[in-house]
Amino acid sequence: MQAALSCLLAFKRIGIIRFARDLGLVDVDAQARRMLDLPAAGVGAESLPDLFPELIGNEASVRNVLAGKRTALHLEYVNRRDRQGELRFLDLLVLAGERKNEGLLAVEDVSGKGRMLQELTQQRHELLLYRNAVHFREHLISEAILGRSPAIEKVRRMIRKISRVPSATVLLSGESGTGKNLAARVIHHSSMPAEAPFVEINCAALPDNLMEAELFGYEKGAFTNALSARAGLLQEAGNGTVLLDEIGELTVPLQAKLLSVLEERKVRRLGSNREVEIRARIIAATNRDLEREVSAGRFRQDLFYRLHVVAVRMPALREMDQDVLQIAEHLLKVFAIEFKKKSVRGFTPAAQKRLLNHSWPGNVRELRNCIERAMIFTESQRIDADELTLLASRRNPARSLEIPPEGLDLEAVERQLIEAALQRSGRNKSRAAQLLGLSRDTLRYRLKKYGMG
Amino acid sequence: MDGGICVEKKKICLLGAFAVGKTSLIQRFVNDRFGDKYLTTIGVDISQKLLAPFDSGNGRMCQYHLLIWDIAGMDRFDKVVESYYRGAAGALAVADLTRENTASGLTRICRNFRTVCPTAGILFIGNKADLHPLKGPVSAVLEQVAESFGGQCRVTSAKTGAGVAEAFQLLAETLEKG
Repeated sequence: MQAALSCLLAFKRIGIIRFARDLGLVDVDAQARRMLDLPAAGVGAESLPDLFPELIGNEASVRNVLAGKRTALHLEYVNRRDRQGELRFLDLLVLAGERKNEGLLAVEDVSGKGRMLQELTQQRHELLLYRNAVHFREHLISEAILGRSPAIEKVRRMIRKISRVPSATVLLSGESGTGKNLAARVIHHSSMPAEAPFVEINCAALPDNLMEAELFGYEKGAFTNALSARAGLLQEAGNGTVLLDEIGELTVPLQAKLLSVLEERKVRRLGSNREVEIRARIIAATNRDLEREVSAGRFRQDLFYRLHVVAVRMPALREMDQDVLQIAEHLLKVFAIEFKKKSVRGFTPAAQKRLLNHSWPGNVRELRNCIERAMIFTESQRIDADELTLLASRRNPARSLEIPPEGLDLEAVERQLIEAALQRSGRNKSRAAQLLGLSRDTLRYRLKKYGMG
Repeated sequence: MDGGICVEKKKICLLGAFAVGKTSLIQRFVNDRFGDKYLTTIGVDISQKLLAPFDSGNGRMCQYHLLIWDIAGMDRFDKVVESYYRGAAGALAVADLTRENTASGLTRICRNFRTVCPTAGILFIGNKADLHPLKGPVSAVLEQVAESFGGQCRVTSAKTGAGVAEAFQLLAETLEKG
């Protein structure tokens, strides 16, 4: 019977390890030695947990098995790498031994079953991940770019379309702080495989010669410090995205080279005759008016036309009407998490009015800084108007001089503005005059004219 | 004791749904490596790492030898999974910042873990920060789950390495000494 059992164990590739109550090793049979890559004599470990750290934490359970308080302890698919680094799966079963105070650990190599299970699980997971990736990309666009104004809806619509054409070059324009970098990342993440690189380079940050080396790469010895060859960022981006930020700062000679790359989709490293194919999507961003730069001769017209095929203009915050409140609420939630101030739940009506009335020359970046500052100092549940520190606004006549379709009564508007200025200044006439851009005497004259003195 | 430094073995578990990056976080922390290809873990895989020595308070220097358990099969909780959790001093509960259900799903997983290890500390991790340009709704859900377990929350990227060593170190600092 013993011989038959040994034969069965060997046939089923099950090794047996005998151990004592203190978990010290007593014997490891030949099959277990083969499975665990142990030498023919000696083990190099003194106790069972040394050999199987998977049993750490389960020592009491093992002793319960030996004491007959528990039938067995089972650990399945324990991962082991053999000498060749190949992954093997082992099933461990702790049983009470025939001798008193002795236990048996049956080790079964279940690599075949494990690999099959891994393959099936992998396929199921990949399918779920693929479905999720599609869902994530769709939601990323609406989640990352906030707002419901027509201006931002237009941006979102365009990005959705652009994301379906991963090869198209894109020009992002807009004032500083309008989210061009964010838009570039959203375009990248919504159109590229998850592992595709996103490479960002600021065209204003490097001198001309370094920029050329960075973008196109160089061969060893191409210039004094070129001690070894290096691929350029356009090549390194692989099938991902290159963001050329502040493209308007690129010098005219480099503009010519960039145009050639966009036309040919090939690049030649400095000091090389060999052309390398460029597969990455190129997104250019600028806060300059490139048309004006073309007129002034500072930007190549042909490059402008090449970039302008797919152009997205990021709207300034002042063009986004009520969106400022939605973005402010989002930022408030972000900082509430970051600063652990979850009791702060929103803005008072006065604060909302102040957010809406400001012209935000620094756009979302300025709004973000404003909310961050308020969140650091606030101790209330709702941020109030006086907790919002706003930078001096550029005057924005377009916003205040909008004429309703039914027309307006200019004198009535003037009276209202004077009254508002007096209220904001605490009826201090000098300060009110300052707010209205008038001299004190002119204000006094108008107060008298409207009988408001 | 090793040259006057006491070495303590500490078992920690990586918890979380499939493909949140548990294996990648361990690979980054232990071997400073990242593989782009996803390969699902079956069963349990243990990695080990010796942390830097620290003063244990009574003038004695101590060092944690972390046994890091990478555990699959979070969609079930039975005797086998219980055996994997048993004896753990702490856990990193990992969510994928691009999949909201991986954050909400941690409630069930961590509740199961706590039934086996009631005093173990849990640090909540939002992984794949490189894929998510914004702090989005997954972070908010994760914060809520972390708060309900009295745990802290951190954001990491196993791909870039951002926040990974800090997360393991922070968890080690919360482990009970002795």
